[in-house]
Amino acid sequence: MDKKKAVRDYHRNLAVTAGIILLIFIAIPIFVKSPYILNVFVLVFYMSTLSMAWNLLGGMTGQNSLGHAAYMGLGAYASCLLVVRTGINPWLSAVAGMVAVAVVAGVIFYPCFILRGPYFTLVSIAFGEAIRQFIINSEFFGRASGVGLPYGKDSWIDFRFGSKVPYYYVGLAMMILIYAFMKKIERSKIGYALKTIREDEDAAAAIGINPIKYKIMAVVISAMVAALVGFFYASYIRYIDPELMIQAKSTEAVLPAIVGGAAFVEGPIIGGLIMIPLSEFLRATYSAILPGINMLMYAVVLLVVIRFRPAGILGWYMNSRAKQFVDERILKKPSVEVIEEVEMAGGR
Amino acid sequence: MSDTPIIEVSHITKRFKGLTAVKDVSFTIKRGAITGMIGPNGAGKSTTFNMICGYYPPTEGKIFYDGKDITDKKAYDYTNMKVSRTFQIMKPLKNLSVLDNVVASAWFGHAAAKNERQAREKAMEVLQFTGLYEKRHVLSKDMGTPDQKRLEMARALATSPQLLFLDENMAGLNPAETEEAIKLIRRINESGVTIFLIEHIMQAVVSLCEEVIVLHHGEKIAVGTPDEVMNDPYVMEVYLGVKKEDADA
Repeated sequence: MDKKKAVRDYHRNLAVTAGIILLIFIAIPIFVKSPYILNVFVLVFYMSTLSMAWNLLGGMTGQNSLGHAAYMGLGAYASCLLVVRTGINPWLSAVAGMVAVAVVAGVIFYPCFILRGPYFTLVSIAFGEAIRQFIINSEFFGRASGVGLPYGKDSWIDFRFGSKVPYYYVGLAMMILIYAFMKKIERSKIGYALKTIREDEDAAAAIGINPIKYKIMAVVISAMVAALVGFFYASYIRYIDPELMIQAKSTEAVLPAIVGGAAFVEGPIIGGLIMIPLSEFLRATYSAILPGINMLMYAVVLLVVIRFRPAGILGWYMNSRAKQFVDERILKKPSVEVIEEVEMAGGR
Repeated sequence: MSDTPIIEVSHITKRFKGLTAVKDVSFTIKRGAITGMIGPNGAGKSTTFNMICGYYPPTEGKIFYDGKDITDKKAYDYTNMKVSRTFQIMKPLKNLSVLDNVVASAWFGHAAAKNERQAREKAMEVLQFTGLYEKRHVLSKDMGTPDQKRLEMARALATSPQLLFLDENMAGLNPAETEEAIKLIRRINESGVTIFLIEHIMQAVVSLCEEVIVLHHGEKIAVGTPDEVMNDPYVMEVYLGVKKEDADA
């Protein structure tokens, strides 16, 4: 009975902590009026979401993609062009964009998953560049000058606002939803299949996992989330051009996950919350003094993290005293055995 | 039905480019029994094993399971047919806990878990059966060889097989650990699982197997009870090297 109570208390403490963090994020726009700071937060939200999409492949499945900017860009183009050319509702165009990108990703990556090894990474780089070149040279996609979304009155139906606050909330909601979705995947059959594939493909096949099938599923889901981010980005910036898909942008999608800890679903969010404000701060403060120094400092921070915390910030935290302290004093976490015992007893 | 052997291997041959690893091998595996396969290094045991498990197709010949032709089945189809295997070189999911290793396989196979709870319950059962329960929260890469070998079996069992292939599951164990492994394998067999194993350790083969198949240079040279096989003059010659082999070149 005591054990049950301890576990219940622990879950309550967890929920309260999560609630407080959520409340802080909800409250920020009420107190922070600077559009610049809000912009940094919006950036954190969509880049973290993009990084979570990457992490499904890179962290969970062990397939390192360097083409996520291309999925994001394709999603942005698909939804923008639909809105501009056919005038459909932007929210519907988001769904259409996601489906289109899912189909493209599935068709292109099916053959390269038949091969094992680094081919996927290579193809993803080529894929991103090919899509970009294609768009630059296509009249239909607006060539290098890009596509602009119509401006107008603020409207939820058209997802169009002058202020940054609505984008802040939509971005936050998107990040939380995708986080919940990824967490769900992690604990499901698909999640276990992907993790098994990451660790060993032969072992995966031995227990009945078709590696190709699950890798395709991962790439399709990941591409769809990236396309959603692309839709959000386009609605926010209201203008897209092929620059969106350059290789550096794909790398930017990888960084929050690596810095935060690619083995964890939370990794991209933690990494995003740290790296994006840092990069924006460095740019705002130093780029006027000595152009390029912000990139240099960013690179140094990155090197330090990878050198000294290769498992990312969360990877370090999970084995640290800080976690012990938080678990024991704040969350009052019972031992793993106790939680297990109560959970297993609960359903019988 | 139960008269048909659970596995029938019919004249399989495997050639890797110019090298013939397995030449025209035929044998059957009896339902409910423990059948062993022995032979010196390079005899083609693992190749034969991998062909039966769908890792690579035989160049010639056919493999039947319950009378059905499974020659062209892919490796990942096997657990759905109630067949499971372990690997000679252990392949634990290194960065996952022992429990998660087994939960992962409980999600698959013909009696796959429908939800997380079922998967965990099944995994716990298997862990208790294989004696890994106490270590369930250890990362599998942090365990020693005997436990990793056990984990290989636990993972295979979590898919609820009726036929289990063990690839040198006792290599690298000391005598006491071997004894433990033998007991576990016997327990698995008594729970109704047919077992086919490759083994170098004669103590294990003699005490476990009802029937033994001996391979040498990719050919089947003897088959019978452990006693019969060990007293076969040709097998003795191969193992003890009484006479210089002509085909050694």
